[in-house]
Amino acid sequence: MKENTLLRLRVEKSYPEFHMKVDLQVKRGEIFSLVGPSGCGKTTLLRLISGLEKPDRGEIILDGKEITDLPPAKRRVGMVFQDYALFPHLTVAGNIEYGLKVQHLPAAERRERLAGLLELFGLERLAHRQIQSLSGGEKQRVALARALAPKPLLLLLDEPFSALDYNLRRRLRQELKTLRAKLGFTAIFVTHQQEEALSFGGRLGVMENGRLVQVGTAEEVYDDPATPFVAGFLGEANLLPCRVETAEGRTRVRLVTGDCFELPPPKNFPSGPCLLMLRPEDLSPDPGQAGRLTGKIETLEYQGAGYRLEIRCAGVVIQAFLAKKYRGLREGDQITLGFHPGQIRLFPGLFPGGWPVSFSG
Amino acid sequence: MKGGNGDGARLRPREMQYADNNPVYLLLLLLFYLPVLTVLARAILNSGFLQELAGFLRSELFRNTLSFSCRQALYSAGISLLLSLPGAYFFGRFDFPGKRLLRSAMVLPFMLPGILVVLGMVVFYGNNGTLNHWLALLFPGRGWRFTGLYGFWGIILAHVFYNFTFCLRLTGEAWERINPALHEASALLGAGPFSTWRRVTLPLLAPTLLYLFLLVFLYSFLSFTVVLVLGGYLYKTFEVLIYIEYNSRLRFDRAALIAIIQLFLLAGILYLQALSGWRLRRDGLYAGPLPSLSIRTCPGRTILFLVYIILTAFFFLSPLVAVVARSFFPRGLPGGLPTLENYRLLLTDGFRFAVGRNFGSVIAATIGLGVAVSFFTVCPAYYLARRRKNRPWGGADLWLQLPLGVSFVTFTSGLSMLAGRVLPSVLLILWAQLFLAFPLVYSILRTARRELSESLLEAAALLGAPPSYILKTVELPLMQPALSTAAAYAAAFSLGDLAAVLMLGRGRVVTLSVAIYRLIGHYRFPQAIALGTLLILISLFLFWVMEGRYQARARYLFPRSQEGEEE
Repeated sequence: MKENTLLRLRVEKSYPEFHMKVDLQVKRGEIFSLVGPSGCGKTTLLRLISGLEKPDRGEIILDGKEITDLPPAKRRVGMVFQDYALFPHLTVAGNIEYGLKVQHLPAAERRERLAGLLELFGLERLAHRQIQSLSGGEKQRVALARALAPKPLLLLLDEPFSALDYNLRRRLRQELKTLRAKLGFTAIFVTHQQEEALSFGGRLGVMENGRLVQVGTAEEVYDDPATPFVAGFLGEANLLPCRVETAEGRTRVRLVTGDCFELPPPKNFPSGPCLLMLRPEDLSPDPGQAGRLTGKIETLEYQGAGYRLEIRCAGVVIQAFLAKKYRGLREGDQITLGFHPGQIRLFPGLFPGGWPVSFSG
Repeated sequence: MKGGNGDGARLRPREMQYADNNPVYLLLLLLFYLPVLTVLARAILNSGFLQELAGFLRSELFRNTLSFSCRQALYSAGISLLLSLPGAYFFGRFDFPGKRLLRSAMVLPFMLPGILVVLGMVVFYGNNGTLNHWLALLFPGRGWRFTGLYGFWGIILAHVFYNFTFCLRLTGEAWERINPALHEASALLGAGPFSTWRRVTLPLLAPTLLYLFLLVFLYSFLSFTVVLVLGGYLYKTFEVLIYIEYNSRLRFDRAALIAIIQLFLLAGILYLQALSGWRLRRDGLYAGPLPSLSIRTCPGRTILFLVYIILTAFFFLSPLVAVVARSFFPRGLPGGLPTLENYRLLLTDGFRFAVGRNFGSVIAATIGLGVAVSFFTVCPAYYLARRRKNRPWGGADLWLQLPLGVSFVTFTSGLSMLAGRVLPSVLLILWAQLFLAFPLVYSILRTARRELSESLLEAAALLGAPPSYILKTVELPLMQPALSTAAAYAAAFSLGDLAAVLMLGRGRVVTLSVAIYRLIGHYRFPQAIALGTLLILISLFLFWVMEGRYQARARYLFPRSQEGEEE
């Protein structure tokens, strides 16, 4: 039986701007999303995997074979470029066939594979069209078909949908998932859009300044972010300074707003300054919740699915997202919001911007 | 920045590089600068250098040459720009059918061999020219004749012929980039059309106009062929002076001395030009649609534009048409029945007597040199363009561009001093024409190679293609238009070169340009016209290669303004 891990990678590379150090494993058959702000090193990591750049140190093992020093042409890694990089002097069919011609496949087999791919991607009618005459979505399909034609072990997708509009992006994402189910390839999908990263449902990795700061399933990373950066990058998060006090076996959290609540027993935490993460959608005006925040509604936006609020509590602005049923609120109203202590995350000792004066006593 | 886009991970391109240690690069520098240094050394190491310098600077010859060179260059630049402004207005403010075609046709005069332009001028505007023939037919008995061709105004006429179209093209392009909303804003603020032109358009065009003025000034200052033929004994540029001292009077030290003085004068012009080129980069960009020019929407302007185009086409085309038409008439004069007699004369001993070689060897030398120069210019230029693709246009490229500002006659005489006795004429000419063609060829290929998206080559590599296969199936097919344009330009330079073949060919190598020059010298106009027609055919073929398949942008001609014009 084949090993379950397709790609193992441990690389380091120095750049004038930052030092990249990544340790990553990708399982056979998964779509692994790589997400992070622009400039964090996602594309660079893809270029290291594909061999377009060489690491300073480390090794890359694909399908049990070390490929660290292999040239790109010998790695069996496919890539869909951000700008598609379709050959403008070749037709749609010419582009898809390119990798097959390089492999010197017999003409009959090549034609068969080409026909299969054209059909699979719904490109039969466009086979003899010039690249310039294609729409964005069509180009995207050609690029994908071309990358998959030589049957790569691993497919790299570098923000492939970034140039397309929202609806098309959603449709192509769905198509990619269907394709993977059909063909069973393994892919690394780079994006800087959190929604896109979460949507594949598989594992994802969050990058910051050349490091992978967290790897996990979408739910794990969203619900239990490893750092405030991950919390803020994937989804929206209120990050509030607080102080944890442990006494007599009970753990109390005192918020910067002055509000106080007790953590349930399993959530033991060392005493001291902390940063508390609270998702806007976890706040609600329902009574009977342990945590409470009281403040004035500064802004209120109706967003179809619900209301987005900014509430000022003792000098801190808190974002909240309330379901539609809480209609009738108005800007300037005083409101008390509650949350379950189980929904919060605490990051010890982290105070970007320093400890608020009003809270230091 | 990394990660955000495909470019992120590449070289950090801000470092300026003033040299390159690549052997091809170093060899080119050696080939380009050694002859110039030879001239400098010859002049300076001469024992009486300072005395001779002082003597020459005080001489009437120097004063006359400097004064004529500057005056004719000022007039040439001023008139070229003034005549191009109305056309630039139409090209810059309107769209009309055939605009692209007209614009690309504007490269044609620039690439015509100098001797052909002179021949066309002589045939059309000369004393026995078509224009005087028409005047005599239209106004019989009045005795109206145009006799100004051999002299100051004839030289200006030829220089305007050369430079007017690229002034029009570049000014038009600069005008196109001025956002029309600026004019609307100015009008809404109460300015009339003239006030808007003076306060908005002119200041925005000024850097381009200044840059072009200096460029035409430089070209005219360095004019050789035109002044050599039309200037007679009275009018000489420094180029012609160096040529006469070196080639006719065989006073090598004197030629070197004049060359040095000219180098200093050129340095001054180049410095001014570099300053104006620097300002050109600050132009705002506009790439939106323009209103279309048609008889329905703006009849007055359309008629004015048509008149302008017809007059311009008459000015440019009539000399060339006259050459072709007259080549089919006996003795090259109007009247009589069409004949191929003039072409038959090319194969006679008379031709050989005037030119020094027979017709076959002239054609062979012309085509052979053209092909060889194309090959030996394009190969190293592409090699370097490829090697330096990730670097911004920098100091190391500038060294390869500097030949543009060095006098070609100086270079050629230096080359003759350096290697004239060692190398055969053909190699010397090849060397000189490489120097002549390289800067433009390099800047075309350098720009085109930088514009080639690197991800296409990476995509091919990831699909499993080995480097040689990528070169063959992706890189060269995509670069082919730029390569053929560059090769055609190199061939055009070789075709038009008179100085190097005259000075280094020593009668053993004769090209079409030199043959026509000799035939004009021997007053054998029928044969000159027949050869001229062949030269026109070859030029048209090269023009078709460079523009017919590839929209060569005018910026390739002016590498110094290149970084700013990238869109």
